[in-house]
Order: sequence, then structure tokens, then C-alpha cells
Amino acid sequence: MSVAATSHDAMLQASGVSIRFGGLKALTDFNLTVRQGDLLGLIGPNGAGKSTAFNVLTGVYQPTEGEVRVAGQKVNGWVPHQINHLGLARTFQNIRLFRALTALDNVKVACRAQGALHPVKLGQVAKMGTALRNYRDWWRALLLTPGFQREERELTRQAEHLLDVMGLSHRRDEEAKNLPYGEQRRLEIARALGTRPKVLLLDEPAAGMNTREKADLMVLIRRLRDEFSLGVLVIEHDMKLVMGICETPSRRCGACPCRWARARWWPSSAPTARARRAPCAR
Amino acid sequence: MATPGATILSDDVAGPIPPALRGILPVLIALPVLALAEVLLGASPFATYLLSVVGVNIILAVSLNIVNGMTGQFSIGHAGFMAVGAYIAGVTSLSLKEVALSFLPVAASDQVLFVVALLAGGVCAALCGFLVGLPSLRLRGDYLAIVTLGFGEIIRVFVQNTEAFGRALGLSGIPQYSSVAMVYFWVFLVVLVARRIAGSSHGRSLWAIREDEVAAEAMGVDTTGYKVRAFVISSFFAGIAGGLFAHFVPIINPGSFTFVKSMEIVVMVVLGGLGSTTGAIVAAIFLTLLPEGLRSLFGAMGAEGSLAQKVDQIRMPVYGVLLVVLMLLRPQGLFGTKELWDVLPRWLPRKKKGLS
Repeated sequence: MSVAATSHDAMLQASGVSIRFGGLKALTDFNLTVRQGDLLGLIGPNGAGKSTAFNVLTGVYQPTEGEVRVAGQKVNGWVPHQINHLGLARTFQNIRLFRALTALDNVKVACRAQGALHPVKLGQVAKMGTALRNYRDWWRALLLTPGFQREERELTRQAEHLLDVMGLSHRRDEEAKNLPYGEQRRLEIARALGTRPKVLLLDEPAAGMNTREKADLMVLIRRLRDEFSLGVLVIEHDMKLVMGICETPSRRCGACPCRWARARWWPSSAPTARARRAPCAR
Repeated sequence: MATPGATILSDDVAGPIPPALRGILPVLIALPVLALAEVLLGASPFATYLLSVVGVNIILAVSLNIVNGMTGQFSIGHAGFMAVGAYIAGVTSLSLKEVALSFLPVAASDQVLFVVALLAGGVCAALCGFLVGLPSLRLRGDYLAIVTLGFGEIIRVFVQNTEAFGRALGLSGIPQYSSVAMVYFWVFLVVLVARRIAGSSHGRSLWAIREDEVAAEAMGVDTTGYKVRAFVISSFFAGIAGGLFAHFVPIINPGSFTFVKSMEIVVMVVLGGLGSTTGAIVAAIFLTLLPEGLRSLFGAMGAEGSLAQKVDQIRMPVYGVLLVVLMLLRPQGLFGTKELWDVLPRWLPRKKKGLS
């Protein structure tokens, strides 16, 4: 288990992460580095542990071994919303929108989450400050202070911009559950962008789409990466799809079907795809 | 639309009102209106009593709706917080009975002390809410229901065995400071708070927690923090309601704050539609007046007064039947998550179409 030197431009870094549920090793010695501008794919068959890896990275599960760093900060033991405030946003495999809320409100929830408005500070004093600010924020909301109204307008503006980027402006006031499938997927990405992430994790964003839509989606993802200067990590269990969309040739290593292959999509000129030894889930 | 209260920023006050004034304008309007109503209404003691009970129940239902409806948690110990408020406010009032603020007329001084007692009760209830909520709201699912249920019972048993709270006999002789205007001022306040929360970014976060807690957490919403804060606000108003209650009934005893009372409030919230503030209000009014209506109905039917006397006993079965019918016909409650003004225009055409 090697712990790689922390370089500051690594926005997301997992080193030697393992997770065990009782006797089941869901993930063993998982290593990953995502930098700004990266567009990485995480591939493997069903049950290989791709989603588990996402859950470890975003704090839903705690790693049994190894460490996860987001923006240079070790986040073992942090809860998901704190990790999110550091700049890690994700979408879900089975769409998890706030179904009864409008598209705009879905994005506004994410924009509001403090990380988007205030820089995250660490330490006990900052924590106290956050708590006090939270209560002050409630009073401002109850008294409808001018500052609160201004903030609300600003949130709406941000959210509208994101909807616009994702081509969902026309759905602004529609309840999320009434959107067609593809638009729900896009709305989830818009919502994730609302938290102003540095790294975006997409869990099977192309599931249930046809070839054409998949191609469009990949163009969109690339555009988002450039526009918001993100690092993007995409889960896709369909190897063929990843290879097909991938501009750089990549190869999968090894014979075991449940190996992690790390396909470096962009920017890259040579066939540098490195495949890592990894965890056999079975 | 989907988020109840999304319109609050626009429909609260129309026209060019300076933003600084918008926050307190509703209060400024409400105060003289309530004072006027008090002068006009000062009629029969029974009407006053009934109006006060309705008001207290509205406060309870609307405040519980913040937790059960907006945040999607399930609290069934609201009567416990009400009891805390009632007893703390009652004891405060009793001990301040002889005190009068010399620089004020007697009536005004009484009202000031009353508000102090109410706030004391409310703050104590909020504190209890914080202590109960902090450990149980970190978990997901039904833990809150179990903990709040236990809390309600603990408070009741504690009061029953404490000399200072009059044991099972209860507290009597609490000065009857309460008036309809005072009760409805707090009704107004809790509704305003609920609506403003629903329309603000905090409310959106609460809705997000209700819709999908995992996703909310992943989107940076501090779910535990939000749940605890919603719970504290809810308990505070339950405490206020208890305080008001203690100041217009002749005697408060542990029997007034049983599990049955908690369920009554839950039924109001569910009946009105989880998440609908106006729904909770309508259901609270309806369910409070229902026993009175039944009583006069049975009285008019001339059932020898026997059924009419038993109305309080057959009330719970009636609630049960009501809930079953509701679950079958309209599982989301009368208004769902919508508010009165969202629903009203839609019901009329839908009836014509036959709800296909």
C-alpha cells in the first residue's frame, strides 16, 4: 500500500483505500488521482465495486483502510456534506432528485448549501462561527431582511444560469418528477454543479440513453469540464461505450474481468491509458 | 407550485414596499386587527374558551407540521413539549403572581409577565427539543418517533411525581391572563414563521431532506443540523401553545398531555396534508370543533343526552374512521403539500371532470 505524495493540484486523491463489509471485501487497495481538467472513466462489470468506490470518496461509507484526500484535505471520518463543501459533487446511479421540488428549486438547494456561499474553514473556532451563522441565517429568513432577499435573488440567478447551461431553462418551474428521463439526468448534473464542485463524480450518467444521447452527453461533459474547470470522474460499466466515446485509445489490462481499468480520456495524445492492478471483488 | 411558499416573496405584500419594512409589516397589520377583534368579540365565556382551544390546536398543528410535514421526520411526542411549556409557564406565572411592574398599569403589567412566562415555557420546551433531537435526529427513519413517544411519557410521569408541579392533581390557580387576542397573536406568529421558513432557502433544504435525505446530504445540506433546528423551532411553539393553554383553563394536570393528545395533533397534521400549513390550520379547526358539533347534533337528535355526553369518549374512534377513510380516498391528506390557495381553484374543475 503506497501512499502517494500529495500534490496540490490533485483535487481528489484516494490512496490504498479498502473497504470491508464484514467478511466481504468490496474494495481493496483502490488508488485514484483526479486533477483539474481530468476526464477519467471508472469501468468494470456489475458488482466490481464502482459505486462503492464513489460512496467511499463522497463519505457515504468510511474506508476501512487507506485515505481519501479532497483538495489536499484528508477527509476520513467526514460526513458527506462536509466533503461536498470541499468541492466534491456527485450524481446518483438511480436518479435521486428532490422529486416534489421544481427544477429551479432543486438547483437552488444545492446552490444554497453553505459551501457554495461561504468558503469552508476548518477548526473549532470556524465551526462555532458556522453554527452562529446558521442561526443568524434563520433569523434573517424569518425577518425577511434586505440582505436575505438579495441573497435569495442571487441564488435564483445562479440556479437559472445553471439550468441554462444544461439546457433546462424551459423546465424551470416544472416539478422534477414530471421531467422526462434524460432531462432528469441533466438536472441532476445541474444540481451537482450548483454546489460549485472542483471534482464532479458522475455515476452512470448515460444509463438508459440511446447512442445518440450518449454522444451528446459526452460532448456536454467535456464542455462542462472546460467551462467550470472541473475534474470529472465517470462511472460506466459498459466497457464498449467508454472505449467508443473515449478519444484516446485505452486498454484494459489483465485477464480478470473485474479489474479496474483507468482510462485517461482527455487531454492526452498518446495511448497512455494506465490500467491499475486492483481489486477483485470476487 | 411544488414548493409551498415559493410565492411568499411576491404575494406577501403587494406593491412597492421598502424591503426593510417587509419583514415586520404583517405583524404591524395584525396587532391592531387582533385588538379590534378582541374588543368586538368580548362575548360569552364559552365562545372565548372554544376560540382559545382552537387557537392552541392550530399552533400545535402548524408547529408539528414543520417537523412532520416539511422535514419528513415523524415526531409523536408533541404533547410532551406542550406539557413542558404549560408547566414552566404556569409555575413562572404562579411565582410572579404578586409581582407587578410599578411603571405600568396593572393589566399591562400582567400581560408583560404573561409573555415572560410564555417565553420561559417556550424556551424550556425548545431546550428539551434540542436535547431530544440532537441524538435521535442523527439517525434515519423511525428512531425519532420512538424517542419522542418516550419523551412524552417521561414528561408526564415526571410531572405526576413532582411536588412542585402538583403531582397528579395538577396546577391550579394560575392567573387567567390569556385572551383570544393573545392566543391568535401567537397563531399568527407561528403561521408567519412556518410560511417564511417554507419560502426561504432553509425551507427548501428541509423539503430536500424530506424528499431524499441521502441526496440532500450529498448536495451539501447539513441534514442533521437542519433537522435539529426545525425540531427546536417546532418544540418552541409547542411550549408556547402549552403556556397559553395553562393560562385559560382553570387547572392543568398530567391528564391533559397524554399520548392521546399527541396523536390528536398528528392526526390534524396528517389530515390537513403533511407539509401544508393551511391544511394543518383547517384540520385543527375542524377536529377541534368536531366534538362540539357532534355534541349539539346528538343533542338535537334527542338521544336522551346519553350519546351527547359520551362524545369525548367516541371521539377517538371517529378519528380512527376518519383517518382510514382519508388514507383510502386521499392518502396525501386534504391538501397534500399544497396550500389552500393552490388547491382551491383546482378542485372545482376537477370535480366536473370526475377526477379521472
